[in-house]
Amino acid sequence: MYIEEFKKYYEKRHEYAKDFKKKHPDWKIVGTFCTYYPEELMYAAKVLPVRILGSHEPQNVTEPHIFGMFCPFCRDVLAQGLQGRYDYLDGIMIAQSCLHVRQSYTSWDLHIPVDFRYYLPMPHHLQSARAKDFLKAELEKFKKALENWTGNKITDEALDEAIEILNENRRLLRQAYDFRKKDNPPMTGLEAMYMVVSSQMMHKKDHNEILKNLIEKELPNRDLGIGDHIRLMVLGSENDDVEFLDMVETITSNPAKFVIDDHCTGSRYFWNQVEPKADRLMAIAERYINRPPCPTKDWPNRLRLEHDLNLAKEWNVQGAVLLQQKFCDPHECDIPIFQRAFEEQGIKTLFLELDVLVPVGQFKIRTEAFLETLSSEDLF
Amino acid sequence: MITAGIDCGAKTVKVVILKDDKVIGKAIIPAGIDTKKASEEAFEEALKEAGIKKEDIDKIVATGAGRADQPFTKDSVTEVSADAKGINFLYPNVHTVIDVGAEESRAIRVDGKGMVMDFAVNEKCAAGSGAFIEAMARALEVTVEEIGPLSLQYKQEIAMNAQCAVFAESELVTLVHQQTPKPDMARAIHAGISDRIVSMARRAGLEPDIAVIGGVAKNPGFIDCLNKDLNTKVIVPDDPEFVGALGAAIAAKEI
Repeated sequence: MYIEEFKKYYEKRHEYAKDFKKKHPDWKIVGTFCTYYPEELMYAAKVLPVRILGSHEPQNVTEPHIFGMFCPFCRDVLAQGLQGRYDYLDGIMIAQSCLHVRQSYTSWDLHIPVDFRYYLPMPHHLQSARAKDFLKAELEKFKKALENWTGNKITDEALDEAIEILNENRRLLRQAYDFRKKDNPPMTGLEAMYMVVSSQMMHKKDHNEILKNLIEKELPNRDLGIGDHIRLMVLGSENDDVEFLDMVETITSNPAKFVIDDHCTGSRYFWNQVEPKADRLMAIAERYINRPPCPTKDWPNRLRLEHDLNLAKEWNVQGAVLLQQKFCDPHECDIPIFQRAFEEQGIKTLFLELDVLVPVGQFKIRTEAFLETLSSEDLF
Repeated sequence: MITAGIDCGAKTVKVVILKDDKVIGKAIIPAGIDTKKASEEAFEEALKEAGIKKEDIDKIVATGAGRADQPFTKDSVTEVSADAKGINFLYPNVHTVIDVGAEESRAIRVDGKGMVMDFAVNEKCAAGSGAFIEAMARALEVTVEEIGPLSLQYKQEIAMNAQCAVFAESELVTLVHQQTPKPDMARAIHAGISDRIVSMARRAGLEPDIAVIGGVAKNPGFIDCLNKDLNTKVIVPDDPEFVGALGAAIAAKEI
């Protein structure tokens, strides 16, 4: 079963990275704090980016370093470093996203020695006419920094190869997501999460091999018998909360499945490709400027809203669960507007706030009640 | 010289009488809602144990949240200073003292002379205090005395958020419905409070040796979790709840 491979890689992310280093001594591994990092340049310089995520466990090491009103995710991320779980990293980098996760990056930089560190000032005002030129100039600086550090010249050929590997991954993930449009989706929301998040922790060539087998040999005939389940969308901030997704998808009173998402640990990460052009750096810049935006960068117009409503329509969604990391202001500002817009389209919403650990019992009561309201529409 | 320290805590009033650096009398009385009355009772009992009269005492110093409500003295020190002096008197090598009381917890970094170098106190939430353990014990239908030893019988570590006493109780209800064994739930409660306390203590800075005082220090389940989280063996004085009053009695010598 190819679909189960992703879960293994997700759970054994550190073992994979350490093994990768052994097998590829000419490569370096850099931990990343957000999904705006330009992977193409890193691959071209023989640098494997691995996204640093939390472990959803209680910890007591970050209190002196992170403000109390910063989100639990940034705290959980830093805890991984302070507890030595990413001791194999050669470097760290962040492409500016939000203030909270930037604090994780700067604290990591202060307290955990690494060979290479890079702060890339990814523009916030993506809708500015100058954003692409600005980012391209920053990519040039990043390219030089990578070349100086690794000693590897980033040639056009290396960039083209990296773009193609990453684009292939994005194409394949989109294809796998397309299967979820079916009346009887061959994949659960939890499986989809494992599939996407594992791609942020593996070399894309390895990931692509599994994806190809999955799409060709498994998904076309996979029958989970969930054609009568309520079709849900999940959207919001970072979410790799296995326990939460599993809880929702195993409710028996009114069974439901997530069929589409908008998370940086989901579709937002891979949705669009680099459109090749002679000016490679501009092509890469355009990809990151034009991708479905994080709310920190989605202004003055809320482009993500229209994108999400389209996803809901295309994947025939009946209800939407809006998740947010506690204290995540950018997402929180979006919640009322998103809820109103979804409700106007006849899609009921449930809003839940995530912490490092999910209070499954409380969330289950609310989710069951939400699903009950969705199914009662059919009954009466 | 005979001095006395009176610690008017949220839950109990403690009195320590000190003569030439030796404790000659001590008493602990539930504070109730009348701190003045409880203080008088505690003082009376301590005097009885010491075999002296109030007039024999040269100086009295008060500490604790209700220190202004006792009738014996206007001289007072904060709980932070009292804890620092008390622990330095007992264990001069202790450089970090963690005080977990009924309603408040604090961590204090102390120099070799009992002076406060830095300190941190818990936030508004009760999840890092004795009241939290009391509430959780009620939910598990065991006594406060039973919950600590019960937690040591755990078979499985379960993670609890325990950021807030109210939400933690809801989490506990979920575990009850999942038919989680009582010792495992008790362990989860103590692990949660320990995480909270250690997080706070890191703000003050942890420097060995580390001592734990206050009523909750008598809870072996909590101490076991602390030892694990701090990766050390913490020192627990014989009468951990009296250390603040002892510190006040020492302060009385200096005023």
